[in-house]
Amino acid sequence: MVFNIQHYSLHDGPGIRTIIFFKGCPLRCRWCCNPESQNHYPEISYDEKRCLGNEICSECQKVCENNAIMFSSEGKAIIQRDKCSNCMKCIAECPAKAYKKEGIEYTADELLDIVEQDSIFYRGGNGGLTVSGGEPLIHGQFLIDLLKAAKKLRLSTAMETCGYADYSILKQTAEYLDTILFDIKSLDNFKHIIYTGKSNQVILNNFESLCNDFPHLHKHVRTPVIPGFNNSIEDLQKIEDYLKDKPAVTYEKLSYHRFGVGKYKTLGRKYPMDD
Amino acid sequence: MSKEKVLSAQEKRILFEINGEKNTLYNKKNRAFDLLKHVQGEKPVIDIERGLYFTRSFKTTEGQPLILRWAKALKYYAEHAKVYIDDNQLIIGRIGRPGRYGILYPELDGDILGDAIKQLPERETSPFNIDPNDAKIISEEIAPYWKGKTFHEDLIKALTPKTAALTYNQDKDFTSRFIVNETASFRSSIQWVHDYKIVLQKGFSGIRREMEKKLNELDEFSPVDQTEKKPFIDAVITVCDAIVLWAHRHAKLAGQLAAKEYNTVRKAELEKIAKICWQVPEYPARNFREAVQSQWFTQMFSRVEQKTGTVISNGRMDQYLYPFYKNDIEKSLITDDDVQEIFDCMWVAMSQYIDLYISSAGGAFNEGYAHWEAVTVGGQTSDGNDAVNDLTYILLKSKREFPLNYPDLAARIHTRSSQRYLAEVAETIKEGSGFPKLINDEEVIPLLLSKGADFEDAYDYSVSGCAECRMPNRDTYTSPNAYINFAAALEMTIYNGHMLKYGDELIGLKTGDAETFTDFDEFFAAYLRQQKNFLKHAFIQQHEIIRLRAKHFASPLGSALHKLCRDTLTDLHQPHIKGGIDLGYFEFIGYATVIDSLAAIKKIVFEEKKATLNQVKKAMQHNFTGYELLRQRLVNAPKYGNNDHYADEIGRTLDREALLFTRQYSKELGINLDLRYVPFTSHVPFGKVVSATPNGRLAWTPLSDGSSASQGADLYGPTAVLLSNFATKNYQYHERAARLLNVKLSPACVQGESGTQKLVQFIEAWRDLKLWHIQFNVINQDTLIAAQRNPENYRNLLVRIAGYSAYFTELSVDLQNDIIARTQNEAI
Repeated sequence: MVFNIQHYSLHDGPGIRTIIFFKGCPLRCRWCCNPESQNHYPEISYDEKRCLGNEICSECQKVCENNAIMFSSEGKAIIQRDKCSNCMKCIAECPAKAYKKEGIEYTADELLDIVEQDSIFYRGGNGGLTVSGGEPLIHGQFLIDLLKAAKKLRLSTAMETCGYADYSILKQTAEYLDTILFDIKSLDNFKHIIYTGKSNQVILNNFESLCNDFPHLHKHVRTPVIPGFNNSIEDLQKIEDYLKDKPAVTYEKLSYHRFGVGKYKTLGRKYPMDD
Repeated sequence: MSKEKVLSAQEKRILFEINGEKNTLYNKKNRAFDLLKHVQGEKPVIDIERGLYFTRSFKTTEGQPLILRWAKALKYYAEHAKVYIDDNQLIIGRIGRPGRYGILYPELDGDILGDAIKQLPERETSPFNIDPNDAKIISEEIAPYWKGKTFHEDLIKALTPKTAALTYNQDKDFTSRFIVNETASFRSSIQWVHDYKIVLQKGFSGIRREMEKKLNELDEFSPVDQTEKKPFIDAVITVCDAIVLWAHRHAKLAGQLAAKEYNTVRKAELEKIAKICWQVPEYPARNFREAVQSQWFTQMFSRVEQKTGTVISNGRMDQYLYPFYKNDIEKSLITDDDVQEIFDCMWVAMSQYIDLYISSAGGAFNEGYAHWEAVTVGGQTSDGNDAVNDLTYILLKSKREFPLNYPDLAARIHTRSSQRYLAEVAETIKEGSGFPKLINDEEVIPLLLSKGADFEDAYDYSVSGCAECRMPNRDTYTSPNAYINFAAALEMTIYNGHMLKYGDELIGLKTGDAETFTDFDEFFAAYLRQQKNFLKHAFIQQHEIIRLRAKHFASPLGSALHKLCRDTLTDLHQPHIKGGIDLGYFEFIGYATVIDSLAAIKKIVFEEKKATLNQVKKAMQHNFTGYELLRQRLVNAPKYGNNDHYADEIGRTLDREALLFTRQYSKELGINLDLRYVPFTSHVPFGKVVSATPNGRLAWTPLSDGSSASQGADLYGPTAVLLSNFATKNYQYHERAARLLNVKLSPACVQGESGTQKLVQFIEAWRDLKLWHIQFNVINQDTLIAAQRNPENYRNLLVRIAGYSAYFTELSVDLQNDIIARTQNEAI
């Protein structure tokens, strides 16, 4: 299940790339800027900026079988998520495309067809396919098959991962990867649990195994620098020290941003870092 | 002095729709910048000398062969026009008063001149000032002579009522209707580029000698030789004398100024200028500086000769100037900085001549004092090798460091273009002023070959004007062509041959009432009938234009610089020249507007049945007021520019139908009349006559430009834009020519060395897709603010955020503010 396919991506691996964003993630990082990526099932998002308002249009309300849609005093829709059965009828009916389905099923062939359409842009700079998420590794065999088929098409492949997965899956995907973009968020397990919901042990073990089994695979390690979590000099230094003797590693710090805040609203959720 | 801001070409285009033009430059110290300060920002003034001296000369030559009359008028101009040498300028020769100026070509549309000059100072698009005494001379001496003699009047008389109804309003001045728009009345030639090399190598004395030899070879008893060929030779000889005389008058003036000059540095400069003007363009240039001066005299005198659409082009400067540069560098006579200073001086001189269009149509087609005097760099040599040299890089550097919007710069790209060249082109694009535009050898050269060119001519083509290409000694077709408003054809399909703007008047075909169409195929077929009807009248127009032009215009200077004209002793404006390749074209304007409208009707009316065609028509009649819900459905239907087969397939059919028409009928005209998608700024005035369209576009707003997507309709990034462009082309037909394509990128998308590399990769993909043209816009933060206020027009604006790129209008208002603020920080 995929929540977005982004063309002309310039910052996630070499060259010009097409990114497939998979839906579903084992972590719940408090700063997550893609909340629509977290759950593994389809969801409805609603962007009130696009909505025409109920003075002009109430098509969504008319088709909703569960009476889950109300309107605010400004005329914008309010989805009562507890009543919503995710039937997606409002999405089909909305003339302004204010409603959007987050999470669409594709076959591997369908995805690769889309990715291959951009292949003329990949050639000059070794661009190609990047799989991202959510966490692509939770898609297990589907992901492995996809990457294997991508390699058969001679596509350059990259994967963005949080590293929290069954190692056997990671290992099998790595066979078909040219680059892996691997997040190491903190070496402090206690903080890691508080801020992401999961221990970092699995992640670090996986990284160690990856380094042992795939010493030549380019591992681009990234750390999102989050205030109050890992933004102290010591915390970041620890990560850099940890990476020192690892093979074929490059490292990058990503600065914190709040660009995902609006998306929480479209999904009817609260931004966890809003305190 | 307030610091002016650099605008990207895109922003200029957006501003065209709001203001007039603003000149843009950095505040940097050098000779060219100082020169520029004197001419910046003033409203251009009309200089009447060209119009006046041509009129006076023509009064005395009635009844003589046209080409001879033209040459004599040029000679008269050379004798009488005031000559100028600007303070501190190194490259001299202007054809109008100091500051920014425009000149008159009353032979084109002098019939409307009297009225037009009263409106010019206040005109919304490209206004001009005029001295009251000059205005008097125009209305009392110039305009009356041309009344009844202009091309404009003759063309109006020649057109049948049905063609005329699509061409002109039936008002006093026969103003343009902006439907099937003729452009031959506001320019006597389409874009053109001379073979400047012959001037640099042989000088006009060399051309004169060649003509004297031909004169001796004429058969003294042959009526053709005596009545056609002899006047041609006389005319070329006269024009050679005229330009030399004009240069010598500059030499004398330089000498006089030098004698009076106290500043020793400037005194030496003036003495050198005098020496140069005694040498060129009469004799071959001996060094780089003389070569540039010789070219400059030639192109300026060419501007006196006639009004070439988009301004006469500069050709492959990095090629024909290179031998002079190389020789001077090897002998240490000159440095690269000197070369750049000479170029910069030339660009400033260029920026002072403003392409003046008297008619409101001409003004609206060329808003913001538009100009395309294309300097071509790069590409291949006539033997098929990469042509890039040191001069190529100096020209690119000049454009980066002296970001004036003159000259228009075009870079040819091919499969063996070096990495350095591509990177420097990308770096220049990143400057954000929209230069250079790129032209693709891999599309252009095979098409030139398919039209009968030899490899050596095809490899050596020059970019000419906006997106066109010319082989200077092979191309022979100069007739201006029709710009066709196909969004109007679509409107007529909805209103059964009518347009809202013109009420009850039946302008198009009666193809049926909206309620009678039962499926999309019927509707599409009705549209295609309207499209074909427009093409029919465009070709009728063209036929008359070709016939009439030869009787109204001559080009002794242009012919002197063309090998085929010299060989056959035929004027360039004659319909056919032996050995020539006639590459004309017609323009499809509103391409994406039409595709998107058809796709919306197909999807919403006939497939989803969310509305009837009658309901859509009603919504359009009300300009969607009260029909926002329906409008949103139409806006969100499939659109061209998204690599979406649904829309692209419609686009391919439109393209194919137009190609098939010209395949069948351009033969009758004896020329290649190719399909193009190059609007200048005509999509703006064309939009002003078209009411609301079924793609959700509001009434009287601009149509889509060139082969670009509708404003804000491309949602999947620039790769999808290119792929849609590819998918809508019919590569099996050779009756195609330029497609203009604008792509917008935010500065952050191309940031740093990695940004340069990724821009290069994008350019390589464009090249390999065999698309004809592309130009990039890099965006200022003002644009982001405008995008925030008016998101619908900016839906496709990509911005770099943090580790990823996203569409600006899809971001929350807060984030938008954040990015606006951050961009400002970056800019400081």
